[in-house]
Amino acid sequence: MPVYERGYKHWEPSGRKALPPWWAIARRGIAGPLKRRGFLFLLMVAWVPAIVKGGILYFTFKAGQLFDAGQLVRLVGGNWASIEAPGFFAFLTWQKYFVLIFLTIVGTRLISKDRQENGLALYFARPLGLVDYVAGKVIIIMFYYFMVTLFPVYALAVFGYLVTAGATGMEMLVLIPLRATLFCSLAGLSLSLILLSLSSLGHRAVFITVGWVLIYLGSEQIANLMTLFGNRWMRIVDFPAQYFQAGALLFDANPPHPISPWGSFFVLLVYTALACLILKQRIRPVEVVS
Amino acid sequence: MTGTASKVNQTSDGLRVQGLDFAYAQAIVLQDITFTLRQGSVGLLGPNGSGKTTLLRALLGHLPLPREKVNVLGWDMAVNPRAARQRIGWMPERGGIIPGMSGVAMVAYLGELSGMPERDAMQRAHEVMDYVALGEARYRKCEDYSQGMRQRLKLAQALVHDPAWIFLDEPTSGLDPKGRVAILKLIHDLASNKGFGVILSTHLLPDVEAVCQEILVLREGQLLSHDVIDNQATTARQVFEVEGFGEEELFQARLREQGVEITKDGRLTLITVGSGEGAEMILAAAEATGYALRRLRRQRLSLADVFYKLVEE
Repeated sequence: MPVYERGYKHWEPSGRKALPPWWAIARRGIAGPLKRRGFLFLLMVAWVPAIVKGGILYFTFKAGQLFDAGQLVRLVGGNWASIEAPGFFAFLTWQKYFVLIFLTIVGTRLISKDRQENGLALYFARPLGLVDYVAGKVIIIMFYYFMVTLFPVYALAVFGYLVTAGATGMEMLVLIPLRATLFCSLAGLSLSLILLSLSSLGHRAVFITVGWVLIYLGSEQIANLMTLFGNRWMRIVDFPAQYFQAGALLFDANPPHPISPWGSFFVLLVYTALACLILKQRIRPVEVVS
Repeated sequence: MTGTASKVNQTSDGLRVQGLDFAYAQAIVLQDITFTLRQGSVGLLGPNGSGKTTLLRALLGHLPLPREKVNVLGWDMAVNPRAARQRIGWMPERGGIIPGMSGVAMVAYLGELSGMPERDAMQRAHEVMDYVALGEARYRKCEDYSQGMRQRLKLAQALVHDPAWIFLDEPTSGLDPKGRVAILKLIHDLASNKGFGVILSTHLLPDVEAVCQEILVLREGQLLSHDVIDNQATTARQVFEVEGFGEEELFQARLREQGVEITKDGRLTLITVGSGEGAEMILAAAEATGYALRRLRRQRLSLADVFYKLVEE
């Protein structure tokens, strides 16, 4: 039978509710990596620090009578056993390499892949705008960012509340989750926009990945090198460090580096604004010069 | 429901472009384009760089447009392009796939982005994949599709949300003859039997002749012609094959005086007359010069003849 005789049926809407386009983009993007076993394994590995911290909290506060808890704290370092806000902030700083790994896997191809085969033309021939498109992609990155930062903090906060027999109720169940939510939301949004802007710059994911890793790790190494020569203010070029410098304000913690947290906050604002500008310029169904 | 036009399609308005100008930086791409399309299949013709794709992008609302220049299905594309896009299907010339997805997943995903509920979109995706004869390849990654399959996949994604109009940019580009015929049959079926409005942008004239009822001819950003194809082929100019005996030179001289073109093709004399003139002129010249006509037949001009004449003028 010729193909054209197979018949075309017009669509009769079922009456089900359609979800906004950004949700469709986010849902597909989140579900994709979860189908890979290697990715799921990596996700479990990313929770190991949280499990370790949970174990230390348990032994320190619940099973402390079995041995000297102070010795354990001295052994592992104060932050691992801390149930104060700075202890949870330290946990977030330990997760920065997992953040790098997951954001690299999930984020670098998000826009470059669409641009590779003129996919943007398909998106924008639909009833969706730039904000829907970017919001959908940002949610994908933020979801995985939260998976390795915010969600472990929530779990640890609940666990900490349980092992301290409710003595830390307000701090564990309200203040720490609130601080972590605020920090992770702002940092995640900024990281997502910066990573997406990089992803929008080219068609080849490999170059974007290299660029992203250089920005994340390379800037840290450059800053380490410069500070060796006494240029402590050069820590300002350390990209991931700016998040923790600024985040220290939220957690009432000591800033990890001797530069102004407000300076870091301003630097991040500039980076994020620049990223938004790049996204506005690069994400178009058609290249228009003017 | 198969083979009938939907209510949506039957009640749809057309497309109206009024005095549209557009330039990329300093390069003028479209100049004072004006036309109205009701429904049916329209061929958008023009040499490379004539502004066909830019015009389609203007119709999709992809370009920054002034108000009231482009109206699609009742919506001003400068004000509310998203509403109009819910009823437009677009098949781009280059690329037009989302790597990493299976064919049916890509079509369903784009259906959801067009405002369809998730389950409806998946169901429709399967239906349109069957319609474009990709049923057996639906679960293959779309980047692994052949060129012909990609073109059909692009057609499927343009149809998934059941639009009123579909805009096709070079749909037969890069296809082998069999694939080209298959996709032209699908397009013809959509335009003729399923109530779709179709704009077919191409520089392949036989494709337009096979599918379209009307043509828009662009050259250097200007609209040269908007007409029904049959009118184009019959009214623009006419060529008559003439054979006879007698004072042929006198007969030809008489016709040349009236400004017609005369060429020889073997024994035949080909007489090209302008629009509005016809066989009467030739008969009168023959009678006046005593030339006995043995054959007088009008040649049917192909669209290619008409097109080349328009763009060369």
